[in-house]
Amino acid sequence: MSRQDHIREFAAKALADGRVDYFIGWKQGYNGSEAIPAFVKDPAAVDQLVWTPLCHHNLVTFLKRNMPDPAGAKIGVCVKGCDSRTLGALLQEKLVDKDKLYVVGVPCDGIVDRRKLEKEFADEIVDIAFPEKGKVAVTTRKGDRKEFAQNDFLLAACTRCRYPNPVYSDEMAGPLEPEPERDLISPDWSDIAGYENLSDDDKQALLEKIYSTCVRCFACINVCPVCFCWDKCVNRSRQPELVSQKVGTKENLLFQMVHMFHVAGRCPSCGACDRACPVEIPLYLLHRKMNKEIYDMFGFEPGVKLDEKPVFQVFDLKDQFGD
Amino acid sequence: MAIKYLKADALPALLEALAKNARVVAPFKRDGVTQFEPWQSGKDVELDVLLAKQSPKERVFLQTETYLKFGYTMAPIEEGAEGEAAVPHEMVIVDAVNEAPAQVIFGLRPCDARGFVQMDQVFGGYGGFYFDPLYNARREATTLLAVTCRDPRSTCFCTAIGGCPAGHEGVDALFTQVDGGFAVEALTPKGEAALAAGAAGAVLADATDAQTGEAAETKMAATLKVDVPFDLDGIRDNLHDNIAADGWHDLAMRCISCGTCTYVCPNCYCFSINDSLVESTGDRYRCWDNCFNPLYTEETSGHNPRAAKSNRFRNRFGHKFWYYPDKYDSLLCSGCGRCIMHCPTRIDIREVLRTMGSPAGQPPAEPVAAPAAECGATVSGAAPQAAPVGAEAPGAPRPTGSEEGIDA
Repeated sequence: MSRQDHIREFAAKALADGRVDYFIGWKQGYNGSEAIPAFVKDPAAVDQLVWTPLCHHNLVTFLKRNMPDPAGAKIGVCVKGCDSRTLGALLQEKLVDKDKLYVVGVPCDGIVDRRKLEKEFADEIVDIAFPEKGKVAVTTRKGDRKEFAQNDFLLAACTRCRYPNPVYSDEMAGPLEPEPERDLISPDWSDIAGYENLSDDDKQALLEKIYSTCVRCFACINVCPVCFCWDKCVNRSRQPELVSQKVGTKENLLFQMVHMFHVAGRCPSCGACDRACPVEIPLYLLHRKMNKEIYDMFGFEPGVKLDEKPVFQVFDLKDQFGD
Repeated sequence: MAIKYLKADALPALLEALAKNARVVAPFKRDGVTQFEPWQSGKDVELDVLLAKQSPKERVFLQTETYLKFGYTMAPIEEGAEGEAAVPHEMVIVDAVNEAPAQVIFGLRPCDARGFVQMDQVFGGYGGFYFDPLYNARREATTLLAVTCRDPRSTCFCTAIGGCPAGHEGVDALFTQVDGGFAVEALTPKGEAALAAGAAGAVLADATDAQTGEAAETKMAATLKVDVPFDLDGIRDNLHDNIAADGWHDLAMRCISCGTCTYVCPNCYCFSINDSLVESTGDRYRCWDNCFNPLYTEETSGHNPRAAKSNRFRNRFGHKFWYYPDKYDSLLCSGCGRCIMHCPTRIDIREVLRTMGSPAGQPPAEPVAAPAAECGATVSGAAPQAAPVGAEAPGAPRPTGSEEGIDA
C-alpha cells in the first residue's frame, strides 16, 4: 500500500467517523507540474489526495491563528518531517488545540525544487512525473521531455534533512524512512558557510542586495506556520509606524529581520517562506543562520520534543552565551 | 505608418538612442528572475521569458510614491515685530515632490499595456471621479513599446476577456518577432515619435511583404494558442447573485491572505497613504496596499467589514469582474495569468470564475472548448453586456489606442 493510499484511507475514515470537519492534504494543481493544498470535506472525495515529491506545501500553515474558516474547526492534516516540527513548535506553546487535530505523518525522502527545474527550460513546465524512484521526468508546453536525477533537484531544506520522519503524528502513512544517526552526527551547516565567512560589510552588502527586490507582499510571513501575529504583525503597524510601509533596501531589510527574529526558536527551516516568495528571494539563508546560532548556543532544535519548552521561554544558568 | 523591420541585433542600438532622452525600462534577468529594470548598455533584454515576474505597472504607479515632504522649524522673526509676531514660534515647511521624467517601457506584453489602460480610468478622472496628477504626469511621459506574445503560456487567458497576444490597447508601438528581427508598427503618435528617436541609432527599414506576412501569421498562431477557460457572458451577474454562497469559503480555504496576486497584477491599483515622521521632519507617501491585508478595511472603531479571509478573497474577484465594470465600463483584468503562476498556493482565477461565475446551484462551467479564432471575434462576438470592453463612455477621456484586434 503506497503512502498516498494510506493518506486517502486515513482521511476517508476520519471524515466518515466525524473525527474531523475537513482534512488537509495535497492534490494536483492547475497542471501536472504542481501540487497544491487540498481541503476535503467529503469522504467520497478523498481520491483527489496525492503524495508525490511535488507536495512541498507545509500544511501546518492552515492551522495557525485566523487561518481556519470557520474558527475552531476539527481538522485533519498531513505533515512531513519538517512540517511536523513546525506543528511541534505550535504545540509546545499551546498555540493550536491538540484535541481538535488529527495528524497524519508522511515519511518523506525529499521534495523536488520546481524552481530549480524551471531554470532548465525556456519553455513552461506543464508536467512533472516520477516514472521510477529517484527519477524526475519533466514535460514542457511544446512537448519536450527530459529526465533528471531527483537528488540533483531537491529543495535546499531536503539535502540536509535530519528529520525525514514526522516527530509528531496520530497516524503514520506507511513505513518510516531511514533516520540519520542524529546523536552521532551534528547538523550540517555547510550551506551557509559561504555567508558566514564574509566580512561584516560584505554580509550587509549581500543582504541588501537580496532583499532589495522584496515587494512586501507578506507571502513569506503569512505562509510561515510559526509566524502567527497576523493582523497584529509589527510589520503592518501604521499607528505608530514601527516598520516603514515603504519599499526600499533598508526598509525591506528591517522588515525581513523582524520576521527572522520573531520566528527564531520556532523555525525549523522548513523553507515555506522561500518557496512562497514570488520574486524568489533566498529567505532560507538567514533562517538557517539563525537556527545554527540557536543550535550552537543552546543545543536546541525547534519543534522536536513536545514536552520541551521553547528555547526562548527558558532561562538556564548553564546556557553558554557567546563571547 | 507602414510596418517597419528592425534587425534583432540592432535592438540595443535602438534602445541606446531612446535612452538619450528618456529612461528606458525593459525586462532583464537577474539571478534567474526576470523583472522590468532600467536599461543599461550591454545588458541583454529578456524576451524568451514571456512574462516578467511583475508587470511594469510599478514604473508608472510607484510602489512607494512620496507626495510631499514636511518639517517643523523655528519661524524667523522680523526686526521690529511686535505682539504675537514677536513671540518665537514654529512653522511648517511643506515641499511637494512630483517628478515625471520621460520614460520608454520596452518589452512589455499587450496584456501589460492593457493593464495601464484599465488603471488610467481609475486615476484619470473617468466618469467624473478623481484625477490623480502624480499618476497622470508619469503616464503621460511614458511610451509603451510592446512585444507580441509568440508563445502564450497555459495560464494566459487574454482572449477570453477581449484581449489579444498582439493587442493594441494602450500600446504605442508593437514589435512582433519575425525571422532575424522584429516587424514594428507604430500605433500612436507617441509610438511614432519613439520610433523616430530610435531610428537615430538603428536602421528601421520598410518591412518586406514576406516579413509583414510572417508577423501576421505569428499573431494568428499565438492567438490560437491562448486557452479560453471561461465564458465571460453572465459572470458579472452571477458573481452578484453568489455573493453569500458557501463556495467562497471553499475556494478561499487555501488562500494565505498575502498580497502576491495583487502585486504581480498589471491592474490592481489599491494603495494606502501614510505619514512618516522622524524627529521634526517627515514625508507623506502612498504605497501599494491590497484587499487581502486584514488592515485594509479595518475601521477606526476596530470593526472590520471583511474580517474573514473568505470575505477578502471574494472582494478581489468581485472588484475585477463586477463592481469595477459597473463603475468604469471595463474589466479590471487583462488575462496575463500572473496571479495563477505566482500565488503561493496556486489559486486559479479561472477556476474561481468558472465556479462563482456560474448561476447559483449549478456546477462549475466547463472551459470553452474552441479557442478564439481571432482576437477581434472575441471582442465583438462574446463581449459581455455588463462590461463592454473598449466601449466609449460619453464625455470620458479615453486613453490612446483603444482599437483592439489584429489588423496586420
